[in-house]
Amino acid sequence: MKFQITHNTIYDYSQSVRLCQNEARLNPRDFWRQRCLSSHIEVTPTAADFQERVDFFGNRVAYFAIQQAHTRLVVSATSEVLVLPTATTPAVISQMPWEQVQTLLQDLTSPPPHPGNGLYDLLDAKQYLIDSPMVKVTPELADYAHASFLPGCPLNDVVADLMHRIHKDFVYDPAFTTIATPLSDVLAHRRGVCQDFAHLAIGCLRAYGIAARYVSGYIETMTEPGKPRLVGADASHAWFAVFVPDMGWLEFDPTNNSQPYDQHITVAWGRDYSDVTPLKGIAFGGGQHLLTVSVDVMRLE
Amino acid sequence: MTNIASGNSPSDFDIGKQYYATQLGSYDEMYADEEKARPHWAKFFASIERMGVEELERRRHETQRLLRENGVTYNVYGNDQRLTKPWRLDPIPLLISSEEWPIIESGLQQRAGLLDLILKDLYGGQTLIKKGLLPIELVFSHEGFLYPCVGAIKNQQRQLTIYSANLARGPDGRMWVIDDRTQAPSGFGYVLENRTVMTRVLPDIFRDTQVQRLSGFFKAFRQSLNEIAPHNKENPRVVILTPGPLNETYFEHAYLSSYFGYTLVQGSDLMVRDGRVWLKSLEGLQPIDVILRRVDDSFCDPLELLVNSKLGVAGLLEAVRRSQVAVANPLGSSILENPGLLAFLPRLARYFLNEDLILPSVATWWCGQRHEREFVLQNLQHMVVKPISHSHNRIVFGAHLSTSELDELRAQIKAKPYCFVAQEQVSFSTVPAFVDQHVEPRNAVLRNFVVANGSDYIVMPGGLTRVARQKDDFTVSNQAGGISKDTWILTEKPEKSTAIWTATQRNYAVDVVEPLTSRAADNLFWVGRHLERLDVGVRLLQAVLTKLDETEEFKDEVDAECLVLLLRATTQVTGTFPGFFGVSEQLYKKPQAELLALAKNTRQLGTIASNIHSFYQAASSVRDLWSQDIWRYIDNIQRRWYLKVLNKRINITQLPKNLDDLMTNIVAFTGLTAENMRHESGWLMLDSGRRLERSLSLIALIRAMLSPNLTDVLQQQMLEALLICTDSLGIYQRRYRAVIQLPRILELLLQDANHPRSLVYQLQQLSEHIGALPRENRNSQMSAEERLLLKAYTDVRLLDMGMLVNPENIGLTGELEQFLANLALSLKQISELIAQAYFSHSQVPQPIKTVYTEDEL
Repeated sequence: MKFQITHNTIYDYSQSVRLCQNEARLNPRDFWRQRCLSSHIEVTPTAADFQERVDFFGNRVAYFAIQQAHTRLVVSATSEVLVLPTATTPAVISQMPWEQVQTLLQDLTSPPPHPGNGLYDLLDAKQYLIDSPMVKVTPELADYAHASFLPGCPLNDVVADLMHRIHKDFVYDPAFTTIATPLSDVLAHRRGVCQDFAHLAIGCLRAYGIAARYVSGYIETMTEPGKPRLVGADASHAWFAVFVPDMGWLEFDPTNNSQPYDQHITVAWGRDYSDVTPLKGIAFGGGQHLLTVSVDVMRLE
Repeated sequence: MTNIASGNSPSDFDIGKQYYATQLGSYDEMYADEEKARPHWAKFFASIERMGVEELERRRHETQRLLRENGVTYNVYGNDQRLTKPWRLDPIPLLISSEEWPIIESGLQQRAGLLDLILKDLYGGQTLIKKGLLPIELVFSHEGFLYPCVGAIKNQQRQLTIYSANLARGPDGRMWVIDDRTQAPSGFGYVLENRTVMTRVLPDIFRDTQVQRLSGFFKAFRQSLNEIAPHNKENPRVVILTPGPLNETYFEHAYLSSYFGYTLVQGSDLMVRDGRVWLKSLEGLQPIDVILRRVDDSFCDPLELLVNSKLGVAGLLEAVRRSQVAVANPLGSSILENPGLLAFLPRLARYFLNEDLILPSVATWWCGQRHEREFVLQNLQHMVVKPISHSHNRIVFGAHLSTSELDELRAQIKAKPYCFVAQEQVSFSTVPAFVDQHVEPRNAVLRNFVVANGSDYIVMPGGLTRVARQKDDFTVSNQAGGISKDTWILTEKPEKSTAIWTATQRNYAVDVVEPLTSRAADNLFWVGRHLERLDVGVRLLQAVLTKLDETEEFKDEVDAECLVLLLRATTQVTGTFPGFFGVSEQLYKKPQAELLALAKNTRQLGTIASNIHSFYQAASSVRDLWSQDIWRYIDNIQRRWYLKVLNKRINITQLPKNLDDLMTNIVAFTGLTAENMRHESGWLMLDSGRRLERSLSLIALIRAMLSPNLTDVLQQQMLEALLICTDSLGIYQRRYRAVIQLPRILELLLQDANHPRSLVYQLQQLSEHIGALPRENRNSQMSAEERLLLKAYTDVRLLDMGMLVNPENIGLTGELEQFLANLALSLKQISELIAQAYFSHSQVPQPIKTVYTEDEL
């Protein structure tokens, strides 16, 4: 499946900004089920300084600075991405019980792992067990997760059940949360958006010693037959992935109660949202600002 | 043990080594574990015994006086009095023998080298993690591990530029490392100041004892910062980045800035453009090569690290990544302060160096490992438990916990074991300290300093020794009231002192003017303005109090009327409404309480207390720019008012004396700044602030004191008061030798170009100052503020007094009143224009709200 994605962000300032520095994680990364064929970030006014690099998690980051006075900043990211459909039939899914995964991760000390073997991946996965800036394990999270962690149950089934429960128990409500809403509020009020649901699932899994990470990207939205596709109505999306020994990272989308197949386009991953923020910046001046975001995901073939 | 020399009067016996020996508990520095004092201590004690207790007390007193005079202070957090604490120094140093020092020295060099290798690995290839030599959770869950810094470590010989360790001696006499300081080690400025004072207080003993000099270390320090500069290695521009005047060791930041000649900056003084770091100065943007930081690393870049930090520079990490600037210590180095690392250091020393640690660490168990965790959980009551990230919970002593508290702690450890370490509870050796006129044992911790030098490390032959205030206490921190000591490393051969400047640099230093940051310019301008507000407030209050006395003494009707007018003028000029514009008639009869409030109330703007506070705040945020002498008067102005007026229950009769004292300090400050500062940008800003404020005060005084409907005799009194408040009475009398006349007075106060209190004089000075300030894109055109100033100056000069004064000579004419009102507006406009032209750079950047995904189902 091939997609073209356009992600536009516009800042309108009440006062002039003389200088701003920004960091964008808007260029999709490559990995085993995805190839980014082309990508481009255009900034208006023109960035005096623009540099790309790869971050600790392997995500693509663009640093740019606007050094002229402006009252409007437009960041437009365009990319073409090839998504290879994954066949995750039950036959190939690891049936390892979650307790065994937990022990494997916990006891990994010796012999020293080295690149190329499964232990190395396991070691790498361990960093996703630890508390991260936006996901801190609490007894409340463990309590909520408890019902899904049936003794002896394969990890994949545990996570699928957890995803299903989150989808069922929580109301999708963009008016309820902001970026600063803590996970405890989401849990208490049973409302949130895709970030919150991803964070929630990650916290639940980490509470049981299971490695889970945050994935940011886009999803193709289906339209009713006969109606034109709504350009710009789509938005960026988030879900999570869990580490299953000998298999790797399996993805789950609690907002849609589905496992990503061929409609999820990955941009970046990390411990939580704070590692993969699509666009952030620091401005000198500017006063109040108004933010407009639009995303368009178009299927090319 | 009991004090065998009990009794109130101290005797020389109390400071002798025999008395001291009766007081000992654990391992002692002087006695080790023997009966006899160690020879180097015995020699030192022979000297102080000869000196006698009174003399030693006198020298201790002298120590504190010198520290006070030199303005050596530190800030205590949560101190609502806004007072800094004087630094305390014990006249008895810690002595370290020439046999023992090389072991400590090589131990610290080894440790610095090892930590440097660990730092490079963790922010580079992470082989320690991949090879299983360091657990991943130990590193990644520590708040000092900054993900964005991975890969940003540069290819320098040594990454860890400055290293510091706290050492203590255990009961077996071995030196232990209690903890490592790698973030932004503090204390070596205090060491330097301690040494300076000690050589003055105990010059005889210092001369007779061969003590290693400190200057070599500071020379190496400068060299080390030059070496890491990506450009201009010969003469890089180095700045010290401070969190600001409220930081605990702000004194030291300012002190080192003056000592090394590095500009002291706050985050808002710097900006990143074109991938480089620039200093925003009055002279325009100046490129920066090296940042010596005193700001915690995670606060240094709001773009990539803590987004809400106001202390950093957006884009700094990117500039580091591109090798456009060097930061010492590098961003991310606080990972090395992780106490969990202590448990792994012996293994890492063997891995990297094939050596054993020369200086062992305190026994440490990291709870992330199963066996260690079991051991800790079983022995919790004997252990000290710490979270690996120090910003989290506090340190807990297992021995102080109840059974239920122990259980709670066990549960916390079990929930997130990798976040905790447990350590053996250690005791520190004791050293002799001069306390309450006795020499008594106190537990001591020694802080040492190490600096990179090429591929090696150089250890400061000395250090900051700190002892607990109370006997048997182990808390030595300044926050807890600990006392510092100089540390004397003894040597066999006498040393020559070396200058910190190398010969080549001396040739270089022809005309290097440190740029003045926009923030500093802003503060200096306001130092000047607050000082003048203070000046006029004090003079008014003095005049009022004199009149109050006269009223009570002579019971004269006119005096009473004059007092009312003066009281109202005071409220008007200081802007402390409602004040004497209140409704109650009683207020005029009993103005004492309101007058005291004018002196003491810190919460209302315009009072003496609040102007002192604002003055002090502005002055201390540019502390590096004042000489020691000037600083003493700044400190006096604030401290004395706090101690003698604010913190005391005083009555009105005690006020005049204190106002006189305050005025003396204000005058001394003004005189010193005029005489001891170079008349360049900084001073021009300071004096511009003064001139501008003095103009405004003068206008306010004239308008408030000369109302049109006065009787002739009352106006006479008011005019006299006006002359007193403007310090012009003597001048008037000498010049006109006549009765006090309104037109003559206005002429003197407004138009006399030779009178330093006149309006025209202020405007002329201000105009000259503004003309002399550096200006970006200066051309032949006058700036807007220059135009306004010229106009104001000309208007005042062209005033025709004859036209502006009533035939009856009572009060101001409407025309003059309007003229003065307009002039005041114009001056305020000039102030804003100056701010726009020079201080707008000091604006603090703000984070742009990040995009939060709003997805669709």
